Amino acid sequence: MTQSIQFSSISEFLDMGGYAFNVWAVYAVFLVFIFVNLVFPIVRRKKILREIKKQSVFEHTDTDSTD
Amino acid sequence: MWLWFAKLGSPKWFYDVSDRWLPWLAGAMALFMIVGVIWALLFLPPDYQQGLTTRILVIHVAVAGTSLAFFPLMAVAGTITLVWKMKLADMVAKNAAALGAWFSFVTLATGSIWGSVMWGTWWEWTDARLVSMLFQFFLLLSVVALRSAIEDTDKAAKACALLSIVGCINVVIIKYSVEWWNVLHQPASPLSMSSDNANGPEFWMATGVMIIAVYLFFIVSLILTTRNEILQREKRSQWVQDIVRAA
Repeated sequence: MTQSIQFSSISEFLDMGGYAFNVWAVYAVFLVFIFVNLVFPIVRRKKILREIKKQSVFEHTDTDSTD
Repeated sequence: MWLWFAKLGSPKWFYDVSDRWLPWLAGAMALFMIVGVIWALLFLPPDYQQGLTTRILVIHVAVAGTSLAFFPLMAVAGTITLVWKMKLADMVAKNAAALGAWFSFVTLATGSIWGSVMWGTWWEWTDARLVSMLFQFFLLLSVVALRSAIEDTDKAAKACALLSIVGCINVVIIKYSVEWWNVLHQPASPLSMSSDNANGPEFWMATGVMIIAVYLFFIVSLILTTRNEILQREKRSQWVQDIVRAA
């Protein structure tokens, strides 16, 4: 089972044996899917940490003022 | 045994352990993902009937196979929530639903894009495999909707757990649909390592690498969203306050 690169040029690679649209569309969908479900939670984590920080600071000043 | 179980259910324990495991899981995921994609795109030999469209199937098979894991996972997590009132299990179930909907959607989209050239049609309503996968997509969306519609956390968890058990029946239907009703979607190809078979080792090795990559992605993504959920639900506890202060 020896395997080699199936293309001899970049344009042949991009053409994907005549199925360029379908093959690249699937890999684009896959890439977006991976990206969204990894990056969104990471961005959200930063936002959550910021909000908790803001809330706890607010609560502290709040108790300070009422005490 | 019970002590271990109680520890496992503790959000703080999960947060600490996942903290140590995440870099390794993410690293392994990236490695398998890169090897799998390069292998599939550059090295996979053309199929004698399908040409280079088997590059689509490497992705489709990996995502579709993983998508069937969601309802069993949610049903087990839901049962644990109902019986032992474990908070962590409910957090996992909640975040799994949305991710599962993504997996089902990508399965449908990639299958459709492949079918448009190989079957000559994007969709076929009489094919049980296609329709039952679409049903899974809508079921997962309804779990997400149900969760946000019910304000009471306990009631929401109970309703979602019940729907997850129904979803498991559909998973069995998806799995066997190609054998019970043979319309358009081909049955699962037998795992074959002989080179003269249409689905020889070339296809299965690349797909195997991609299946591992997609499973790792599923685990990493679910850990990330579950950790966010933990931070939000436990924001009043001292250990979360410590993390916030350190960040």
